[in-house]
Amino acid sequence: MTKFFIKYAIFFLLTMPAQAIIFNHAILFNVAVPLVFIWLIIMLPVTVGVNLSVTLGFFAGFLLDIFSDTPGVNALCCTVLAFARKPILHLYVSMDDDLAGRSPSAQSMGHGPFMKYLSTMVLLYCTMVFTVEAFQFFSFRLLVLRILASTAYTFVLLYAFDSIARSRRESYN
Amino acid sequence: MSELIGFLIRHSKWLVFTFYVVISCMLLFKDDPYRQHVYITSAGRLASTAYKGANNVTSYFNLHDINDDLNRRNAQLQAEIESLKEEIQELHEMGFNDTLVPDSGVPHFEFIVAHVISNSIAHPYNYLTINKGSADGVRPELGVIDQNGVVGIVSNTGPHSARVISLLNPHFRLSCKIKRSDYFGSLVWTGDNPMEASLEELPRHTVFKQGDTIVTSGYSAVFPAGLPVGVVLDEDTDKSSDFFTLRVGLFADFTRLGNVQIVINNRAEELRKLKEGEENDSKKNPFGQ
Repeated sequence: MTKFFIKYAIFFLLTMPAQAIIFNHAILFNVAVPLVFIWLIIMLPVTVGVNLSVTLGFFAGFLLDIFSDTPGVNALCCTVLAFARKPILHLYVSMDDDLAGRSPSAQSMGHGPFMKYLSTMVLLYCTMVFTVEAFQFFSFRLLVLRILASTAYTFVLLYAFDSIARSRRESYN
Repeated sequence: MSELIGFLIRHSKWLVFTFYVVISCMLLFKDDPYRQHVYITSAGRLASTAYKGANNVTSYFNLHDINDDLNRRNAQLQAEIESLKEEIQELHEMGFNDTLVPDSGVPHFEFIVAHVISNSIAHPYNYLTINKGSADGVRPELGVIDQNGVVGIVSNTGPHSARVISLLNPHFRLSCKIKRSDYFGSLVWTGDNPMEASLEELPRHTVFKQGDTIVTSGYSAVFPAGLPVGVVLDEDTDKSSDFFTLRVGLFADFTRLGNVQIVINNRAEELRKLKEGEENDSKKNPFGQ
């Protein structure tokens, strides 16, 4: 577990600047924003407690808020996402034992359940972020477009990252 | 007591969750961008250092476009210099040079050149970060322009960086007029397209044509009068209102901002004092008698 947290800390320190400096500006058609940093919440093993995952989620969101001048938006949504992570995971994987402390991935869960888990998490996050941002500035068409385009964009990128990570893991084994 | 502790431990996940949600909501509903502490904005040390590092690499990417813009602007200024020279010559010839009162010597407007190190266009409230701060003379509420037009207004300053409320942010309303007819209104972003904004509160008898230029009115102390802002695209079709609204295509290209200038108005303090005096007078004498 210690090994995992050291790896996680390095990953955290690489992901946040990458999101702030690269992905925040890699916007497609003015609507699709790749919010890939939520990988930090999605990849947490099922054995990580709710208190810890909610804390990690809050700080990841808060850090991104500082970078992108959206005070509270990502902090709130990441907190909720981290809190909802376990129930969502249990929708698709019935027993904790199936995962046995490993990070959720296509390898540990199987392609079908992992794609469902990933898409639910990404859709939930994009829906929350863009709805919270749209509080005072409402255009329903634009809101739906932003949510769907960003969900698709983020999902594709995260699935690609998982595939790359998997092929690396396999080449080590 | 032990039951209470047991209860708290049992429900700790809800307590922790609620705690973070409350903090997030406090941040979220603190609406005024000027009151945020600089450390939780992109002008804080953490974010600005990261952005400056990244900018050292990415600032080379758009040099071709920036160069084109600068050349165009250079040509415009050259033309302006020529016409001003002619005007001065005419005035000399008319013998006005003896009777003109010399100015106080302090230039009305001064400019600080800065570089945009971070910029957003996809949020409903957009901000940008520049690499000059209070140590370079940047203060909150100074105007920011680039070679094409108005960009925004400074909201928070760190020592070597500052956060600017972009024109693509409904917190920022800019007093503008139609250059040809001098009718003035308030320019605000519509929220969906980074190339467009709308000019609101124009009187119903406003005369305008498609393609008319929109410039700053100069009624505030922030921007000089006559800075280019955009061009009239068409009329918004809300007939019920007492005011006209025009769709305006913006001159500044927010998708690729590079160098910007911060406008310092040396007479802003004087104007502010005058305004305060006016307000005090109207408080003392509400009916103006």
